[in-house]
Amino acid sequence: MTRTPPTRQIVSVWFPHLAMERWRNLAERDRALPGAEVPVVLAVPGLHGPVIHAVGDAATARGVQPGARVVDVQAIHPDLHVEPADPNGDVAMLDRLTFWTRRWCPWTARDNEGLLLDATGSTHLFGGDAALLSDMTCRFAMQGLTARVAMAPTRMAAQAFARYGEATTIARPQTLARDLASLPVRALRLEPDIARLLDRLGIKTIGALAAVPRAALMRRFSKTAPATNPLVLLDRAMNLLPDPLDPPPDAVRYIVRTKLAEPVMNAAPHLAELAERLCAGLARAELGARTLRLTIYRVDGNWRAADVATARASRDAAHLLRLLHGKLDKVDPGFGFDLLTLEAMRVEPLALRQERIDDIRDPDDDVAALLDRLTARLGRDRVNWSAWSESHLPERVQHQTPALTMQPALPPEIAAERPLRLLDMPEEVHVLYALPEGPPMRFRWRRVQFTATRHSGPERIAPEWWRDRPGTRLRDYYKVEVEDGRRFWLYREGLAGDGRGDAPRWFLHGLFA
Amino acid sequence: MPQQEGHTRRTLAGHDGFIWHEPGPYVELGLASCFSFLRAASDASELTAAANLLGYHSIGIADHNTLAGVVRVHTEARTACIRPLIGVRLVLLCGAELLAYPRDRDAYARLSTLLSRGKMADVNGDWQAKGETHLTLDMLVHHANGLHLIVMPGDDLDAFEASLPRLSRALPGMRHIGATYLYRGDDRARINRLDQMARTHGLSILATNDVLYHAPDRRPLQDVMTCIRKGVTVSRAGFRLLANAERHLKSPQEMCRLFADWPHAIAATRAVADDISFALTDLAYEYPHEIVPKGLTAQQELERLTWEGAAHRYPNGVPSHVRATIAKEFALIASKKIARYFLTIRDIVRFAREEAQPPILCQGRGSAANSAVCFCLGITSVDPNEHDVLFERFLSEERDEPPDIDVDFEHERREEVIQYMYDKYGRHRAGLCATVIHYRPRSAIREVGKVMGLSEDVTSKLAGTIWGSFEGQMDDARAREAGLNLSDPYLRMVLKLAKQLVGMPRHLSQHVGGFILTERPLTEIVPIGNGAMPERSFIEWDKDDIDALQIFKVDILALGMLTCIAKGFDLIEAHYGRALELATVPIEDHLPDEPGNRPTYDMLCRGDSLGVFQVESRAQMAMLPKLRPRIFYDLVIEVAIVRPGPIQGDMVHPYLRRRLGLEKVEFPRPGPEHPQDEMEKILRRTNGVPIFQEQAMRIAMDAARFTPAQSNELRKAMATFRSRGTIEQLQSQMVDKMIERGYDPDFSQRCFDQIKGFGEYGFPESHAASFAKLVYVSSWMKCHYPAAFACALLNSQPMGFYAPAQIVRDAREHGVEIRAVDVNFSGWDCTLEPDGTGFALRLGLRQISGMREEAARRIVEARHMPYADIADLKVRARMDAGTIRRLAAADAVRSMGIDRRQALWQAQALRDAPALPIFDHVQAAAEGSEAQVILPAMPRAEHVVADYQTLRLSLKAHPMSFFRGSLRHQRFKAAADLPRLRYGAPVSLAGLVLVRQKPGSAKGVCFITLEDETGVANLVIWPDLFKAYRPVIMAARLLVVHGRVQTDGRVIHVVANQLEDRSDRLDSLSDDRLPGITTRGDHPTHPIPGQVGIRGHPRDAKIILKSRDFH
Repeated sequence: MTRTPPTRQIVSVWFPHLAMERWRNLAERDRALPGAEVPVVLAVPGLHGPVIHAVGDAATARGVQPGARVVDVQAIHPDLHVEPADPNGDVAMLDRLTFWTRRWCPWTARDNEGLLLDATGSTHLFGGDAALLSDMTCRFAMQGLTARVAMAPTRMAAQAFARYGEATTIARPQTLARDLASLPVRALRLEPDIARLLDRLGIKTIGALAAVPRAALMRRFSKTAPATNPLVLLDRAMNLLPDPLDPPPDAVRYIVRTKLAEPVMNAAPHLAELAERLCAGLARAELGARTLRLTIYRVDGNWRAADVATARASRDAAHLLRLLHGKLDKVDPGFGFDLLTLEAMRVEPLALRQERIDDIRDPDDDVAALLDRLTARLGRDRVNWSAWSESHLPERVQHQTPALTMQPALPPEIAAERPLRLLDMPEEVHVLYALPEGPPMRFRWRRVQFTATRHSGPERIAPEWWRDRPGTRLRDYYKVEVEDGRRFWLYREGLAGDGRGDAPRWFLHGLFA
Repeated sequence: MPQQEGHTRRTLAGHDGFIWHEPGPYVELGLASCFSFLRAASDASELTAAANLLGYHSIGIADHNTLAGVVRVHTEARTACIRPLIGVRLVLLCGAELLAYPRDRDAYARLSTLLSRGKMADVNGDWQAKGETHLTLDMLVHHANGLHLIVMPGDDLDAFEASLPRLSRALPGMRHIGATYLYRGDDRARINRLDQMARTHGLSILATNDVLYHAPDRRPLQDVMTCIRKGVTVSRAGFRLLANAERHLKSPQEMCRLFADWPHAIAATRAVADDISFALTDLAYEYPHEIVPKGLTAQQELERLTWEGAAHRYPNGVPSHVRATIAKEFALIASKKIARYFLTIRDIVRFAREEAQPPILCQGRGSAANSAVCFCLGITSVDPNEHDVLFERFLSEERDEPPDIDVDFEHERREEVIQYMYDKYGRHRAGLCATVIHYRPRSAIREVGKVMGLSEDVTSKLAGTIWGSFEGQMDDARAREAGLNLSDPYLRMVLKLAKQLVGMPRHLSQHVGGFILTERPLTEIVPIGNGAMPERSFIEWDKDDIDALQIFKVDILALGMLTCIAKGFDLIEAHYGRALELATVPIEDHLPDEPGNRPTYDMLCRGDSLGVFQVESRAQMAMLPKLRPRIFYDLVIEVAIVRPGPIQGDMVHPYLRRRLGLEKVEFPRPGPEHPQDEMEKILRRTNGVPIFQEQAMRIAMDAARFTPAQSNELRKAMATFRSRGTIEQLQSQMVDKMIERGYDPDFSQRCFDQIKGFGEYGFPESHAASFAKLVYVSSWMKCHYPAAFACALLNSQPMGFYAPAQIVRDAREHGVEIRAVDVNFSGWDCTLEPDGTGFALRLGLRQISGMREEAARRIVEARHMPYADIADLKVRARMDAGTIRRLAAADAVRSMGIDRRQALWQAQALRDAPALPIFDHVQAAAEGSEAQVILPAMPRAEHVVADYQTLRLSLKAHPMSFFRGSLRHQRFKAAADLPRLRYGAPVSLAGLVLVRQKPGSAKGVCFITLEDETGVANLVIWPDLFKAYRPVIMAARLLVVHGRVQTDGRVIHVVANQLEDRSDRLDSLSDDRLPGITTRGDHPTHPIPGQVGIRGHPRDAKIILKSRDFH
């Protein structure tokens, strides 16, 4: 333990209100932010109903605390505004910030509700330690995040100062022990029961902990795991044990570029080579592209980009090339291009696949390729297929969605027979029928008179009470066969005396084969 | 005690204009009620009422694999002038569904047995899961004799056709195929095909509408129920919902029209109905034979045992008037043929007294319990010789109801009694009743909100508004306060559906203690199902159903106070050498009422009743000094008077005024032509003020000349509050009749108001008397043996109103020395230790939270000499490190000369590994000798907080005492200063919140009890102030109040003007948080589900339930 590691400058950033501030930022963007006087809390599901996870200012002022059950707090403050918390989203944001903070130094890592930066050797770039910390606070504030930052020679100490110390503490190796001494033992990230034990033992500050003879402490915490052992944690804070930072590697981008010696007016001949290289890279990582961005840079410094998407992950260079085909036709080349980049913006795992020996291709691949090309050519909202929902009302069973957004599904099974052709809008017909609820005998549709020879029904379909307007009438559907053998699907809307309007009306809704 | 029963069942009132119809051509047999859980959406009253209005003469009920709902249909049908046909819809594991209607009693027995089989064991013979029924065709074949079976085809007719030969071969009794016309488009083709199939197999089709609800507008609720059952939202439910609302009860004419082409389908229903002779009234009840010895009749045996008991009760000879009462009662028992009932109860009590080791304390109560016979049989301890006043009523001859005796046992030992019953009568002949768990406002709004796709936020707000307001109802103003817009149609729809769902049964659960005993196997009377717990099974009917069928039941209930009294008696016998029983506790009533002669009553007059049975609540404590009980009967009144019934009827103050002599006792008189003493006869004992349920009913019968049938109806209408119209009608009937007969209009109205209050929470005199006995016994013990009483109370926790901290403080105030928990002195239970003159109370290890009884036992066993230090304790008592730390944290090792902190320090150094002596020196060498470490002394405030955390009480100091200096400085008063303040003086107080209550009977007034180191203070918060300070009241642990002193007799209140939540100050005591100290009476932390009234006492649960009937 005599080896002294080189003095490091670890910065700990703590966002005390991360969840709430992130929610506020999102709500503000959606213009859904309630007034400042509304007590807002974020809740997570708990064992016995939702539990408060984060508390807004107005709620804090009323004494609401995290960990309480939402119903209990609502009983006290009925106007409590509860929103679902999104802990995964919070972590994802910290992950993004981890990379963003590499603007200050290359080694950054995510921390619990905060970030850790190893700024050793890079503080002078920002005008010294204090200037670096204030730059950080300012830039986080610009993103709507309250940050407490502290710098210390060890990670544990930096974390302790950020959370329990004075604002923007900068601890030096010489004064580290003295500065830490006044912080509560909890600052060492102790487990709650160990913290409570130390508290009951009267060991309330790090200083007091450090003052207890080591042997006595060692004896009492010898069975405690190193990660929770107060002695180990103390040593790590005091720089007596190594406390390394473990930064995640940079995110990998799948991007290829071609730099041209001479500006060219037509970039198309170079695309093939770009696509080949990109696909080779994707193949190594067993990935396929779902969206691509082609960017071309003009010599005058201007640039243009074009995006294409695929229905399923692909690294077929020829296919991707076809999608890009024509995307640059309309771009004014100016004085020519000298740089092209092609990036896979969104990738998905795509395992290597064995070609079949009989050379039969998977037809789904062809459909997917076709959809890609049609969508690339016609636009995202122009290529649709059917999506289905289970509804007794015939017109609600099917609707259209853009082909690239979801996988096709089989239509639901409907027990009753449905016509081959359903009119978009049911057409009103004049019907002769036996009152009150007899089948149609004769009807006139599109100025032609029909006489029913046979019928079956009625199939009664009531309105969907949870979504239809009150007063919507039920329908009695009849299958009707007329003299020449044609079959129609008619319905009577409402029943006489159902209290929802006058005499029932009749509509023709579909044609059977 | 579970309190799910608070819901009043929906019933029909008698005169909604039902008339009997001629038997029509059609009978609906495919009817499901809401007991086909979450499948059908109407209850029995709605179905039968709708059936009668549609012109039905009879309908069949066939719920999904259950008979749980049939009794309700049976009783409601009687009111609605409908003949009910009892059946079930059998859903077999293979998917076949059949309606089964037993022809006669024997067929019913087989059907019930079949269902029990399917509910108690699964196909492999293993323990069946709760709520499941597994039936196979094979099982049905063996029980099908005498059943009308109607097979219901599913949607897939091809599959049905394929399975039909198998079914019709196996079930020769199956004569019909159910056919429905449900507007599915292909109905005609479908029915024709079924008709064809039926002919092929020699069967006939039978028309049914497969009813799920009584009227088409119930379709939304049925859809919601389907979604709840399937766990989907309504917008995603798709084809799981039905396309239309046709599965409602249709009129016979409509059914005949739909089946005009198949008249034989209609005729089949009539034929089946006509062939059924079974009705639930056939389940004539037979008492078990065991209780009567051979050669004697039950009456002879009862008389023999009674005289035998009488000789024992009255060693100096049975007093003549008791003898006369007994003779009178015998005649009544003989005329009603209920001797076996008394013998059964006596047998249970005998087991508890004589067979169980040690004997279990028990006491009976209920209308029949307070009879001389019951006293002689040992069922009750209320001596007719001492309190003869009670025996004017016993069983009224005109009321044709089974007698009612509930027996309370020590709550820790009730299970032994239940096991005895099972052993004696066998599980096939003894069973517990079910309790129907209903949807309550909160669960209903949650479920409906979830189904309707409301966000968790909105749903919990809707649910939360119900809870926080102490009210059982959803209230528009509170919803607006929560930011919910109730004019939104969607939200309105949700609320409407939730209101419809409230009161629908959700599932069956086990009743707390209602036992039924039978002579034939129980399964032949009612199906038995399994509970969630292993070895628990219960019948499908609840106690109301049992009552309705006049099957006799015994309530085997648990009462915490009996445990406490039993433990107290044991302590008194062990330490003071005095053996006592409930019946032998000295009665002070005989001595002349002079100072010193009646110390127990003197104590109660002071309102000094903490821990005493029933009269320890705040309202009771306030009443005691006003009522000033001097004799036993005063306690009977005390128990009954502080209840919403008398309070709402405004009977309390007249009674008090008359008792204090401020008002002349006079009895309202009718006109001169009527008997002048009719009121006096009823009300003499209560100074002319009606207080008990029986009196109220008697007034209706005598003064308003209600017939027994009418008063029965009144009783039922009050119990349910269903139709406002009925109540108003009864009100005018009763009040007008009384006025007509010359009574004062004001008095008449008050009598009626009181009956209204009783409907929900009245108290019959018979129960009050049994409870008053326990009040007296517990008060006597508290008065004469305060240490033993406190000790027994602590050892019986959890029970009662107060937490250990208050019990301990009260005992200290009564001069009992309390000694701290200590490993060298304490047992698991609290104990008494000699302290020179008397006994001190040593707290037991049970006070330490998280302590296990078995660890405590090891400590006591190995304590042949004191434990010298922590290591000694660990080795000798074989403690694990966790328990040692728990003991150290509880400061329970002070006798070793170390305090909590040092103990924890030492405990932490111990290893969990078994101590192997040969390694000791090696270890010692490795670690070196322990250097002395000086830890800072633990401040007293921190000790107190740690005490509360580990023991829930502190003997060192009260948390408030640390603020006293600063409070005095700010001119705050302590609770003990209040008696010295004059009426109306301004006062500021601060204290910990013990209890917050907002009783329904107090018109919005909120009562708060604060505690400080000197005592408790009672706050009164007027409704306006409550509204303004609601968040403070709901949240505060340390409450500061500014107000004025008000005294009412000996009761002191502080009427609050201003409140402050200073809970933040508590955090300054220690870095650890002082846990909340509210007691079980506190409403916000111990909410009472669905409860509107002043409940507040868990033990009262049973009483309140009972009180729905008048006795």
